[in-house]
Amino acid sequence: MTRTLLPLVYGSAAFVFIYLPVAALVLFSFQDGTLPVPPFEGPSLRWYADVLADDDLTAALLNSLGVALLSASVAVTLGFTAAYGLARHRLPGTALLRALLIAPLTVSYLIVGLGLLIVLQRIGIGLSLWTAGIGHVVINLPLCFAIIYASMGAQNVNAERAARDLGAREAQVVLLVTVPMLAPAILAAFFLSITLSWDEFIIAFLLTRFDVTLPVEIWSMLRSGLSPRLNAIGSLVFLVSVTAVILLELVVFRRRS
Amino acid sequence: MTARADTIRGWGFAAPALVWTAAFFVVPFVVMAAMSLATLDGRTLIWGLHPDNYLELASKAYLARAIVVSLEITLTVTVVSVMLAYPLAWIIAFRIPPRWQRLALLLAILPFWTSYVVRSYAWLLVLARDGVVNQALLGIGLIDEPLTLANTRFATVTGFVHFFVMLLTLTIYANLVQLSPNYRKAAADLGANAFQTFRHVVLPLTLPGIMTGAFLTFVLCIGDYITPQILGGNTELTVPQVIMVQLGRRADFPLASALAVVLMGLVTLAYLVMSRWLRLDRL
Amino acid sequence: MTAPVTLERIGHSFGSLRALDDITLDIAAGEYITLLGPSGCGKTTLLSVLGGFLTPDAGRVLIGGEDMTRVPAVRRPTATTFQDYALFPHMTLRDNVAFGLRMAGVGRRDRRARADQKLDMVGLLAQADAHPHALSGGQRQRVALARALAVEPDVLLLDEPLGALDLKLRRAMQDELKAIQREVGTTFVHVTHDQEEALAIADRIVVMNAGRIEDAGAPARIYRQPASLFAAEFMGETNRFSGRGTGGRIETPFGAVDRPPPAEGPLTLCLRPEAVRPREAAAQGSLAIGPSRVRDAAFFGTHCRAHLTPDAAPDLLLVAHLPAVDPPAPGAVLDLAAETADLAAFAATG
Repeated sequence: MTRTLLPLVYGSAAFVFIYLPVAALVLFSFQDGTLPVPPFEGPSLRWYADVLADDDLTAALLNSLGVALLSASVAVTLGFTAAYGLARHRLPGTALLRALLIAPLTVSYLIVGLGLLIVLQRIGIGLSLWTAGIGHVVINLPLCFAIIYASMGAQNVNAERAARDLGAREAQVVLLVTVPMLAPAILAAFFLSITLSWDEFIIAFLLTRFDVTLPVEIWSMLRSGLSPRLNAIGSLVFLVSVTAVILLELVVFRRRS
Repeated sequence: MTARADTIRGWGFAAPALVWTAAFFVVPFVVMAAMSLATLDGRTLIWGLHPDNYLELASKAYLARAIVVSLEITLTVTVVSVMLAYPLAWIIAFRIPPRWQRLALLLAILPFWTSYVVRSYAWLLVLARDGVVNQALLGIGLIDEPLTLANTRFATVTGFVHFFVMLLTLTIYANLVQLSPNYRKAAADLGANAFQTFRHVVLPLTLPGIMTGAFLTFVLCIGDYITPQILGGNTELTVPQVIMVQLGRRADFPLASALAVVLMGLVTLAYLVMSRWLRLDRL
Repeated sequence: MTAPVTLERIGHSFGSLRALDDITLDIAAGEYITLLGPSGCGKTTLLSVLGGFLTPDAGRVLIGGEDMTRVPAVRRPTATTFQDYALFPHMTLRDNVAFGLRMAGVGRRDRRARADQKLDMVGLLAQADAHPHALSGGQRQRVALARALAVEPDVLLLDEPLGALDLKLRRAMQDELKAIQREVGTTFVHVTHDQEEALAIADRIVVMNAGRIEDAGAPARIYRQPASLFAAEFMGETNRFSGRGTGGRIETPFGAVDRPPPAEGPLTLCLRPEAVRPREAAAQGSLAIGPSRVRDAAFFGTHCRAHLTPDAAPDLLLVAHLPAVDPPAPGAVLDLAAETADLAAFAATG
């Protein structure tokens, strides 16, 4: 009896806890009133219409998308080349180089952002979406490198040797053999970077000024307290993230198995 | 290809990432550390080896208090999250048929992917004075007056635990499923009951994974600004909140840097304490 | 399409390990050579040197008379098949086989035709559009072979090509490999640790041990008259016993054999189990072992394996593969003889 009942009760309680805030968020985004708290009146789409008509929000959303796509592309490219260089070539002090590349993972985003902010101010570079993008590459590069490096297994080495033996030049080996064979890892790293950059707040907050990303825009909206508008934009953001995760699951992991 | 040509080519591939990390991570980090030893004379920055900021940390009660608050919250969150996540990971790994496990795991951590700011805001909705929890408790007559849940340490811890339970469920699950089922069968075969099997076989074998997850929780939790800022209000400040105050209102970069160095110190300390169990290379 | 290979005094070390020690070997164009030896003997290192994946510390590699010692794999007229096949998992079989041609700039239509022809040769044309993961081990091996042959190398290097296959499939594939080699005429250098495979397939076997060549020659010669005790024991089960070289003859426990000994003084003699046979089945002039008592015997299908103690040497326990009839009962006495041509003699060491 306890063998099945206890896990069922615990599992259900855990799911309630995990989904409670998300459910409240999404439910009251359809609230037909000005406060996102019970009782629920509606459903209404007025707050979605309101949010989509807000130029600041849509601009921030586009900024976020741009920063996420560009910084993830840079991070995954640098991560791949570094992994290839370290895994496939003899470099002195490989362990040290690996540690250096992984190091930003162990430091909180706040410190990464603070350090960059100080340096950028010292050398007089103005804050912008570009500087936030640089920060996002710093935090995503170690993840991309670690994911891709870990998947550079021995069976790929022989495939690369075979390609070289059959006359492929270095660039052809990389583009025609290594990258396609590592496609699942590369895609996983890319999607993960996009998601993390898309969500990231503190670095974007510290390193942007006039044009801001979506989390920063949401942050400034928070100052005026609870509002179904925030619920609507939050639900939209959640939808985007969940879509990315499900895509990742379907494209990358399904194909692998 | 000769060994030398091979090495040169390897540098060519590794260089962009190394240069990026050096320029945008190592250099800022060093400058920040140097900044923590600088001092402010009015609005002018004076570089050098000044212990002023660190002395200020020791002498000003609100700064020392922030360190204590950060540590208390982080330790509470880490312990509670591990204890809540382990049974959940266990249920998914051992009580759900294998073909549904991936789906169950995906569902269990789906809200993990909500925007961090949005997730904290959502908890504010739930815990607000007229929010879901209070309304529900009032509705069933358990309380007469709404409880003060938002803008408290309880709210901060709840928001954190929500996030880290999902993260830890993922890492602990990964540890549990890579454990050969034969260990549990062997233990049962030798007469161990479910608890003994857990206590003497499964727990020791998954301890490195738990510790790695706990360390990750510690690092992410102690450095986070958003959750305490949104959910904790300004009743008590954590180290990241104090850092942001220095940056924002007072533009005291040296003091903010010193606090960041202290934060790094706390993480290093946690690493040293936990290092015998950590398998960071397996992250 | 085919070329001779000459290895001149090749030496290579990994740290303190002497992986290749003064290897000299001539391989004729169109020859099928196997490099045979236990793991760690240097055979795979030698193959890497031939393929251009490793530059040796010393010595020269000549292929088709040209010095290739420092020429990288890409520009050598060699192609390699890898032990794990190293097929590109993201390409169809046809694209795998056509890869080398694509690298060489062969046009799409032409390389497709040539890849199909090679796939046809290995019997996999029908699956040309499949991906490697859909294939069995033996089929993957065939694709690897077709891919390497598609670039029409002068020399094909095969690293344990059948190592990942089960025994039955291995025996079938070795016949196929040999047939393909005859058809294309390319020089094959095949690394293996399986002496039966080497015996079945090679024109010439090179036995290696500890970075050196122990013996090189035709399979029958290596099996019956190996050049070293190591080669004798590695090629298969053998009876070992002591003898003496005196006065230009070999003295055995069963009498003298009229053949020049490798050295005067103590000798180690080797006799394969199947060289021991009933006296009435032995040829004229064979070495009489004489009456021997059966200790035990078992039926093995192709032969009866028996342990016997000869009266002439009561301390010896001979293993004999007798004709496949009912096994003799323990205690029975058989009159045995051995072909002198099957007796191998080495100067005793130590």
